[in-house]
Amino acid sequence: MVTAKAILSAPTGLHARPAGDLVKLVKSFEGSAVKIGVPGGRSVNAASMLSLLSLGLKSGSELEISVDGGRESEALEAVVSFLESVKD
Amino acid sequence: MKVTGPAVLWERTSADKAVRSFEDAYAVVSGQLSALAEDNPIFEAHLEMLQDPMVTDTVQANMAAGMQPLKALDSAGNAIASMFAGIDDEYLAARVDDVRDIFRRLRDAMTGNSSPQAEFPEGGILVAEELLPSDTSKIDFSKVRGILCAKGSTTSHVCIIARSKGVPIRVGADISGIREGDPVEVEDPLVGGQEEVVSKLRAAGRKVYVNAGSISDIEAGIAAGADGVGLFRTEFLFIGRDSEPGAEEQESIYSQALLSCGGKPLTLRTLDVGGDKRIPYIEIPAEENPFLGLRGVRLTLARPELFRTQLKAVLAAARSVRALRPEWFADQSPLRLMLPMVCLPKEIRQVRAILEDIDPGYRGLVSLGIMIETPAAVLGAEALAAECDFFSIGTNDLTQYVMAADRGNPGVAYLYDSYNPAVQSAVRAAVRAAHSAGIPAGICGELASDPLATEMLVSSGLDSFSLSKL
Repeated sequence: MVTAKAILSAPTGLHARPAGDLVKLVKSFEGSAVKIGVPGGRSVNAASMLSLLSLGLKSGSELEISVDGGRESEALEAVVSFLESVKD
Repeated sequence: MKVTGPAVLWERTSADKAVRSFEDAYAVVSGQLSALAEDNPIFEAHLEMLQDPMVTDTVQANMAAGMQPLKALDSAGNAIASMFAGIDDEYLAARVDDVRDIFRRLRDAMTGNSSPQAEFPEGGILVAEELLPSDTSKIDFSKVRGILCAKGSTTSHVCIIARSKGVPIRVGADISGIREGDPVEVEDPLVGGQEEVVSKLRAAGRKVYVNAGSISDIEAGIAAGADGVGLFRTEFLFIGRDSEPGAEEQESIYSQALLSCGGKPLTLRTLDVGGDKRIPYIEIPAEENPFLGLRGVRLTLARPELFRTQLKAVLAAARSVRALRPEWFADQSPLRLMLPMVCLPKEIRQVRAILEDIDPGYRGLVSLGIMIETPAAVLGAEALAAECDFFSIGTNDLTQYVMAADRGNPGVAYLYDSYNPAVQSAVRAAVRAAHSAGIPAGICGELASDPLATEMLVSSGLDSFSLSKL
């Protein structure tokens, strides 16, 4: 398992559209279990839009990402760069 | 229309015996939603939500913890719904209904309880706490005389469907104390009364048009005696698919629409999305205020390839119908192209430039008009009238923008009032500007169908009234 931290860039938080895009990205890494959470809080399955939305992430939130299985480091890098660059 | 009848209480039968496993029910519901999604994009969103891993994971975790399957399902549904209800975002909080609806479907599939209202007594008034979209699909509207709901808004799914079937509905009703069989009454000014409206309009010498969202709407309206179509919404061609319809597909639909009108005017509104209406393959950057953002003609002008394809298809349809029926075009083309959300003369000129570029002889194929929906269009009506061939007042949006009140927000419902003198004075100003420029002005909002508004609107000088249905 590999882990990393990221700061959410989306100015209006992780609402339905960016969450949907993130789910698509995560699903493109078959065999990788991606989890996202806030430090000290629960972490959720990043392939589930409902779970992601349930975190109610605001812009600037600090996030912890972990990837287990599949192309771990590639997936981790893609997810981190998505979270740090997503615009809306 | 006012109807009375015996109350029939909508009971969500609480069958608590599972006859199907969760996995089998999931497959059944997947199938139902895929089929429904073909006609209605709301069910596409439901299908996506059903396929979210959280749904299955939560139910299976509950079962693994030793819960009975039905209990596991109910508990998962409640947990997910309350999670959404707690999110500080109005849009997401409203998804609670969708979540509950999906779990309702799963429960019905597990208990084999698929049509609780199978034996609805003809002529009864359906009384319900709340009707979700999945309930709506089970209602036999040919038997229901009226509907009373305690919860829901007048723009909710059930209201739209009930009214389109001619069934009066009231939401926000006090249903406590109504028992099965009690005589109840439902009054709905938005249903029926059209005979009255039509005869008043005929007596005043105004044109009676009909609004249409499909070819069959056009056929039904013309068969019922409409003088033409005052609003043909083209969105149905664009929704529920992954990519935009091509020029040929659009041309064939627009030709059919023209032919169905039999030479009577067809007012074709160019694609009107944005605001609360989104199409997955037409991306719009996130907006703080979608209703003040890229919608209507603003959006289509910002997507020139998309817009050009539609305009090209419209002109091609007009050309091929003209070849078939030249007599329809002898005096003036029956095809009226209408632009939504226009604020500036420049927007009309931009559209004319595209039309000119596609076919320099386009003026013989279509006339070009605009919807009056914004205060800017009313206050600048004189300059707009100089650039186009007709006005059509969209009272739904005009009311919302004049009063600065969201039509779906119950907190400002007292402001969203098309009868308000400010809105009516906007209507009269637009009509005056049209008439002094020598072009006609019509109305195509819901207010046109309201029998209480007919006299007021006739006196403001409107030339045509496009009714929701005839």
